[in-house]
Amino acid sequence: MPATIKRSTILAFLGPSVITLLVIGIGPLLYAAWTSLHYFNLTKLKNVKFIGLENYGSVLTDGVFWEAMGRTFTLLLIALPIQLIIGLGIALLLHQPGIGFLKTLTRLALVLPMATTYAVVGLLGQVMFNIKYGVINQLLGFVGVDPINWIGDPTNAFIVIVFWDIWQWTPFVALVLLAGLTTVPGEIEEAAKLETKRWITVLRYVQLPYLLPGLTAVLILRTADTLKLFDMVFTLTRGGPGSSTELISLMIQRVGFRAFDQGLASAQAIILLVITIMLSQLYIRLLYKDL
Amino acid sequence: MNIKITLKSMFLCGFFAIATTGTATASTWTLEEAAKPYAGTTVDVVFLLRPGYEAAETMLPEFEEKTGIKINIIKHPYENALGEQVRDFVAGGDLDIALIDLVWIGNFAENEWVEPISKFTSNPDLVDPELDIDDFFPLVLNAFGGWNDVVYGLPFDNYSGLLFYNECMLNDAGFDGPPETWSDLKDKYGPALTKDGKHAYALQSKRNETQSADSFARMLWPFGGSFLNEEFRSNLLSVESQAGLSFRQDLMQYMPEGIVAYDHAEAVNALAQGDIALLTEWSAFYSTLKNPETSKVADCLKIAPEPKGPAGRKPALGGFSMAVASQADDNEQAAAWLFIQWVTSKQNALTYLEKGGVPARQSVYELDGVAEKYDFVPALVESWQDGVPEFRPRFAEWPEITEIVQEWGTKIMLGEVSTEEGAKELGDRMEAVLDQAGYYDGSKPLAQ
Repeated sequence: MPATIKRSTILAFLGPSVITLLVIGIGPLLYAAWTSLHYFNLTKLKNVKFIGLENYGSVLTDGVFWEAMGRTFTLLLIALPIQLIIGLGIALLLHQPGIGFLKTLTRLALVLPMATTYAVVGLLGQVMFNIKYGVINQLLGFVGVDPINWIGDPTNAFIVIVFWDIWQWTPFVALVLLAGLTTVPGEIEEAAKLETKRWITVLRYVQLPYLLPGLTAVLILRTADTLKLFDMVFTLTRGGPGSSTELISLMIQRVGFRAFDQGLASAQAIILLVITIMLSQLYIRLLYKDL
Repeated sequence: MNIKITLKSMFLCGFFAIATTGTATASTWTLEEAAKPYAGTTVDVVFLLRPGYEAAETMLPEFEEKTGIKINIIKHPYENALGEQVRDFVAGGDLDIALIDLVWIGNFAENEWVEPISKFTSNPDLVDPELDIDDFFPLVLNAFGGWNDVVYGLPFDNYSGLLFYNECMLNDAGFDGPPETWSDLKDKYGPALTKDGKHAYALQSKRNETQSADSFARMLWPFGGSFLNEEFRSNLLSVESQAGLSFRQDLMQYMPEGIVAYDHAEAVNALAQGDIALLTEWSAFYSTLKNPETSKVADCLKIAPEPKGPAGRKPALGGFSMAVASQADDNEQAAAWLFIQWVTSKQNALTYLEKGGVPARQSVYELDGVAEKYDFVPALVESWQDGVPEFRPRFAEWPEITEIVQEWGTKIMLGEVSTEEGAKELGDRMEAVLDQAGYYDGSKPLAQ
């Protein structure tokens, strides 16, 4: 193998990846940025014109946009802590020694919700939470609870969305944290357990530092996932009733593909992207500062 | 005198020749001959997941066998159909036929995505001498396929709002017929039929076009309200519009819980399962409700026109036309036209009806036995004579406006805002869209 690699070889190996990334990643992003500066309605293409930052102004002063953003963060702030708590609990249980077969079985079972397509989860929800024929109300009926209007009531519909998000993504959190726990050196963990009988102390001072990279990844991925959560909510409630489950991604889809205002929708998407990047940076700075 | 006789003879000979030629053309034109140059052409068309399309699909083999033209169906649920078609036309895609809801016609026509039918009816090789355009219900032809006095599409999947009711439930409650007015429905039938877990009525109100067309608009027109006044300003705060919207709120007490989550499927199912007694729904769902395999109440099912309000009946009007796409090449356009002409023809209307579709041909409903066999026919014909073409405004801005109606209409139903607050907000947003479109500065005609 030669000590120096030819420039053409490097280009030949890296070129396809870079070009692919540019074409399918950066290209659409730049196009969205261009679109966001124009009045660009798919059904009025004769009227396309440059309007500067007008779309951004409309988005930033639009109460409906911020309401949708608020709803999205409400979902994130409710679901994510619950996912972390339950996920950590599952990870700690599976980290216990001596339950080999059960551990393998549980790990397999944990993959199932994640492997279910978002849209299918939404459709399942429509059936399971149906006020009259849904299995959830049937089960509640066995213990004397009257049928609950899950999907037709604004608050309940939001609760259903939160429930499904937790159901689907807690296993992901559990598996990531379990992977983190397996990186803790056995001798350090054993020594710590000899020092104290309090599991919380072991978790805080021994295991947590090893969990931080995974935790950061979970926070970034789950935040990004929640901000672009679409399929499940669309098939389950379509953003309703009213606007009660219209998350930011549904709103952008509605503006862009049902009202066909691509300019405004692009501006909304770019603002969302900026918020996502800022949050990711925040997570990294906050969680990695001790490392 | 000689000159006169000669001219007269020439005129008569000419007239005779034209008449003979015309007769010959009429008698010799066949679909098979007309389609010969286009055999092997594939025509791409969007179909919805609804009974009328299933009916047409079962008829296709006959057309393909006669013509050699292949019809390629792309199926979409209603909610996706507009978006998919808009993207196809913007991108210069493959669709050769546009399936146009009556509220999309302005959009498709103004963007020149579809061809006027005159392009084909002026071609004797393509036009069936028995096309008989006047046989379509005028209201339906104008509303579904026409824009600014030009006909683009022929009515294909045709709806009028009808009152479907469970006669057995009504009889048990002491009624010998359906309500004639909306007030009767609320004040007499509502209390009597809402009991034992059953409800008198369902108004499908899910937040999509169902909220705009089937719920919101349905309560405006019979009460004298409308979306817009003659100056294209919001009319939603008028006494009449407010009366309609308030009536809807009052009527909700006799509807199943969670009615804002009811789409057509849920509403039709509620009647089919015997959970509600009355349902205003499109004629297209007749075959579902009348079929014992899909309806428990098929034997008790009866149909009447929608109830009257203070302003009259003003039933919901909806439906689809098919038009030839401008983006198709000449052969595809010709093949597409032949298909549209054939599937909506007078000759096929009865077959289409028998297979579960609802044709817009007047002649088929005059055939012996049709009104007796299909008991929705009298109500349908009456509705198509009382309908309002601008039941929902048909201009190009409707896709934006319907989103606003869906959002605020649902908020009103949920009690998140009052009817006045909702109508005010809705009207302001609607006017902003129309202002941006240029209706108020005179750059666009006030056409809907």
